[in-house]
Amino acid sequence: MVVCVAVVGHQNNPLYLQSFTEADDSLKLHHVVHCSLDVIDERVNNPKRNSPALNETFLGLLYPTENYKVYGYLTNTKVKFIMVTTDLDVKDADARNFFRKFHAAYVDAVSNPFHVPGKKIASRSFSARVSTIVKSFSSGTTA
Amino acid sequence: MGREVAESCVDGVVMEMVAAYCGRFYAAKPELAARRIEAIGFQVGHQLTERYTMERPRFNDHLEAIKFICKDFWSELFKKQIDNLKTNHRGTFVLQDNHFRWLTRVSIDPSIESMDANENDSTSLGDSAAQTTSMLLYFPCGIIRGALTNLGIACSVTADMSNLPACELHHPFCDIYLAYNSMWLCNAVTPSIFK
Repeated sequence: MVVCVAVVGHQNNPLYLQSFTEADDSLKLHHVVHCSLDVIDERVNNPKRNSPALNETFLGLLYPTENYKVYGYLTNTKVKFIMVTTDLDVKDADARNFFRKFHAAYVDAVSNPFHVPGKKIASRSFSARVSTIVKSFSSGTTA
Repeated sequence: MGREVAESCVDGVVMEMVAAYCGRFYAAKPELAARRIEAIGFQVGHQLTERYTMERPRFNDHLEAIKFICKDFWSELFKKQIDNLKTNHRGTFVLQDNHFRWLTRVSIDPSIESMDANENDSTSLGDSAAQTTSMLLYFPCGIIRGALTNLGIACSVTADMSNLPACELHHPFCDIYLAYNSMWLCNAVTPSIFK
């Protein structure tokens, strides 16, 4: 199940961080997300020769920690989406689907004229949409 | 598919915004009005790029981003692509649109022109017309600057109208249609990578 999702701006400033576990380990999740930013930078700046698409937005599995798997997605505007999950087998297509819906929700949240670019996303409807997307992802993979 | 709005609403909003900022809010300070309008355009461009780059793979370099602006972004906003793109390979790009959609319906109040009735009408007409139209161009300049900044290119954008007027109908009962040829000059502040 998805443990945490995060949106990080292009200056590595956090825009949104939401954890979906009951336990109070948000600090640990912040730390995991922070470490994954380095992996994203490395992946983008030093593309491996045999990587299929250098310009894909979906970055795939960033790195596995002992309990979690971290997936990344980088938009054209250098905004990073990070998803931390405890699922052992996550299909590529499911992760891509998740990020696609997440991107759509993010674009709608940012198009809000009251949202200040660079500040945290404070929209309740965005949080609600993200929760729905996370629920459908979890139910999709466990079903 | 989202909800749709008539295109004349965009014309109406832009006209009213320019009239409000130039006539009411900053009546004595046109530069300040221009900057506020450009700032509004900046935020709009910022948000629009988020939306229009959603399905696309990432850009490799500045040229691809500029090409995106010229083709996809311009067609989403103005239903056509840029007609001509020039660059000096040192960070300056000139985007030429021969039929800028938001200027096609601009007209000048003929009652103002009838007051100075002499043969030099066309030059004074040109000046006041140019001033009014240039105010209308600050908003699109802001949109382009916001779009490019969000794609990672710091720049300044200026608009230049040439061929003014391209089509002139001087009829006592008709409005005078102006300049529909405008050029956009984008000066990238970051060092160009085209060596």
